[in-house]
Amino acid sequence: MTLEEGKLCSLLLREHFGEVVAKVGSHLIQTGAQALRMIGHETGTALDLVKKALCVLIQHNICSYEVNRRGQVEYAVDFIRVLRLLRFPRYIYTAKTLYGDTGELIVEELLQHGKMTMSSTVRKVADRLTDSTEGKTMEYSEVVNTFTCLVDTHFLQRCPVVSEVEKSEALPPVAPTMFNPEKEMYTVPRVNLTGRGKRSRSSDENDNDHKVKKPRLNSTNKETPEDDGIYWKVNFERFHQYFRDQAIITAVANKLDQTSSEIVRTMLRMSEVTTPPNAAHTQPLSSNEIFRALPSGYNISKQVLDQYLTLLVDDPMEFVGKSGESGGGMYVINLQKALACLSRATLETIVQERFGSRSARIFRLLLRKRHLEQKQVEDFAMIPAKEAKDMLYTMLSENLVSLQEIPKTPDHAPSRTFYLYTVSLLPTARMLLHRCYKTVANLIERRLFETKENKRLLEKSQRIEAIIASMQVTGAEETQLQEVEEMITAPERQQLETLKQNVNKLDASENQVDDTIFLLESYINSVQSTGH
Amino acid sequence: MTAARVPREATQKTDLLKTQDVLALRYRVMDLPQFRIKELCMQFPHGITDQVIQNEMPHIEAQQRAMVINKLLSLGQLDLLRSSNGLLYRLKDAQSTSKMKGSDNQEKLVYQIIEDAGNKGIWSRDIRYKSNLPLTEINKILKSLESKKLIKAVKSVAASKKKVYMLYNVQPDRSVTGGAWYSDQDFESEFVEVLNQQCYKFLQSKAEAARDSKQSPLVQRNSSFASSHEVWKYICELGISKVELSMEDIETILNTLIYDGKVEMTIIAAKEGTVGSVDGQMKLYRGVNPIIQPAGLVKTPCGLCPVFDDCHEGGEISPSNCTYMTEWLEF
Repeated sequence: MTLEEGKLCSLLLREHFGEVVAKVGSHLIQTGAQALRMIGHETGTALDLVKKALCVLIQHNICSYEVNRRGQVEYAVDFIRVLRLLRFPRYIYTAKTLYGDTGELIVEELLQHGKMTMSSTVRKVADRLTDSTEGKTMEYSEVVNTFTCLVDTHFLQRCPVVSEVEKSEALPPVAPTMFNPEKEMYTVPRVNLTGRGKRSRSSDENDNDHKVKKPRLNSTNKETPEDDGIYWKVNFERFHQYFRDQAIITAVANKLDQTSSEIVRTMLRMSEVTTPPNAAHTQPLSSNEIFRALPSGYNISKQVLDQYLTLLVDDPMEFVGKSGESGGGMYVINLQKALACLSRATLETIVQERFGSRSARIFRLLLRKRHLEQKQVEDFAMIPAKEAKDMLYTMLSENLVSLQEIPKTPDHAPSRTFYLYTVSLLPTARMLLHRCYKTVANLIERRLFETKENKRLLEKSQRIEAIIASMQVTGAEETQLQEVEEMITAPERQQLETLKQNVNKLDASENQVDDTIFLLESYINSVQSTGH
Repeated sequence: MTAARVPREATQKTDLLKTQDVLALRYRVMDLPQFRIKELCMQFPHGITDQVIQNEMPHIEAQQRAMVINKLLSLGQLDLLRSSNGLLYRLKDAQSTSKMKGSDNQEKLVYQIIEDAGNKGIWSRDIRYKSNLPLTEINKILKSLESKKLIKAVKSVAASKKKVYMLYNVQPDRSVTGGAWYSDQDFESEFVEVLNQQCYKFLQSKAEAARDSKQSPLVQRNSSFASSHEVWKYICELGISKVELSMEDIETILNTLIYDGKVEMTIIAAKEGTVGSVDGQMKLYRGVNPIIQPAGLVKTPCGLCPVFDDCHEGGEISPSNCTYMTEWLEF
């Protein structure tokens, strides 16, 4: 956990949850696990504020607690979870592409609340959808269907529950121990949810329609819903798996053609739920299975499919591998190799954009040939000696390239040692990941700065909008509205426009940098977990 | 008062003839072996051993034989070579004999050393080690040899200050001049760039033609490959190179394209005798597209910022007052 990461975390916490939570959260990130009193003492905030902040953090699965040896409860914040706050827009967008507006709203609600029961989620989502679509009320059952789909594909999962034993004890323990309900992680409870979404501004017609149903709705609000205690949260790992699959499919489409990418997509879809996260490769799939599972739009014959699979196996990228001959050929997708290949390509593009295409040539050459002398670099890359030297030294000063000394004599005399240039993927990836974190922190700071600069203007425009809205409700005339609108002068309007554009641009670039962060993080995690 | 000066060579020649005639007259036994040995050498152009001479003229004693051979050697008419089973005597051809007439033994030695170095040439320090002569002598000899146009100095491309010496009519080796890419010790980068572009265009158009042909995928991929021989022929036909390029040269250019990430290579086993195969294998190249778009990091000003490490909030360089960001936001 570096300084940059800590700063980024505190910025994210401040943006999402406010000043107090940010202070408590960043303090805990720096110091590790601490007890309640210590936190209050060191941050100088009142105890009940600290408690509320911790509640918020626990609700969002950022903070965890456990009882230490002395019987106190210690709270710890997981900074990786805080960094995920950056990726929320991408999760919501993915849910939208896969499951439509309903899915998008479900995921959004769950992300905003941290964890919720199914019934409350469904109710909220139905209300929101009914609000947004005029003339149509949303059935609860539809929302329940989408929810079930999301759970079946493991995008949502159950939160840890209090164990049964502890519930029955007379004295509740200091801190309840939670355990993950492994078997029921993805089973939706049978809850009888009927009804429709309520419009926030219900007109008379609706009242009439729902007169009969009203008492029942009210009564279900009062009594505890049937699935009380069963909370759901978003399964980030599953989303990450999906992002990774998307990256692989796009890479195959870029390198080969559309059909090959479709085949890879089918293979990945078939192994979605059977592959554990951080596995080196998927389960073997036979070519017959793949043939049957291909989407119906692609009428390619079995032979052509076999040819495509052979081509994928022969490709130097080595995304697909052949593991056996049964069933017409068993094929696996090498996830770890694919991630390594993708992050390697990312590093190469970064070098290319920063230093030029000739330096990128040297970089790729060193990646391929591992260790090279100065003279050999010049010969292979066909770059004049002076320029090659210049580029190598620039990259060396940026730590993208490192030197390996091989002495000829025991006294390491410089004139009698070999100096070999080399590039190692993992440390370079880590370094660039760190740089990404700092970049995102810079972008957020700039965005906050821009907003603060124009705070006065923003407040003014908000006031005017409120005035206009209230005037419209009370039914004012056109001329009066015009007058109020003209209180914002044209240059000010221009300024507001540019401000909006800038903030959007900064926001969008944060998401783009987050893409790079995701790739590099996945690669580093996959290498670390397999231990080589 | 100029005394009649007979040219030195002439006096030497007449001297020799005189000596030989006198000797021939006086020691008829003596000159016979000389000429006999020379005839033998002419018979065996590869050289004769002592044994052969002994067999031919068994009545000559070893000491006399040695004397004759030494005389021929000192006259520069015989070459002494060492072979696996003894010494060989070879007739020196007339031309080189005449060349070395004016030089003395030291020069002959240095000339020998340079000749042995072949087309790679030899550095003056190495000549010194091999001949054990002092530096000043070496320099004098080299200068005189150069003025007689027997040797020449060639600047090495590896270390521009180093000069290697080789025989005048010998073509310098590639490692010294750098081969096709160097013209007068200058690396021709535009030439390399142009060749780079041409090869890439050729491979790319081939790949596109294959992709548009809409045949089965295996055929498509195979037709998008081009062997190094094909590329070599294409470049030769284009005629953009004034220097004759070999297939290895083209392969080095194609390797740079691989390091650019634009081309990939596979090696297939090919029958001996198929066009372009080297040692039973052929290298195939084809153009490829990049597999990933540029990373998100470099789409922001921070990714390319030269003062990234100095930037922090509240300092002189900070995100709030970053000029790069201001420019970027104004796009």
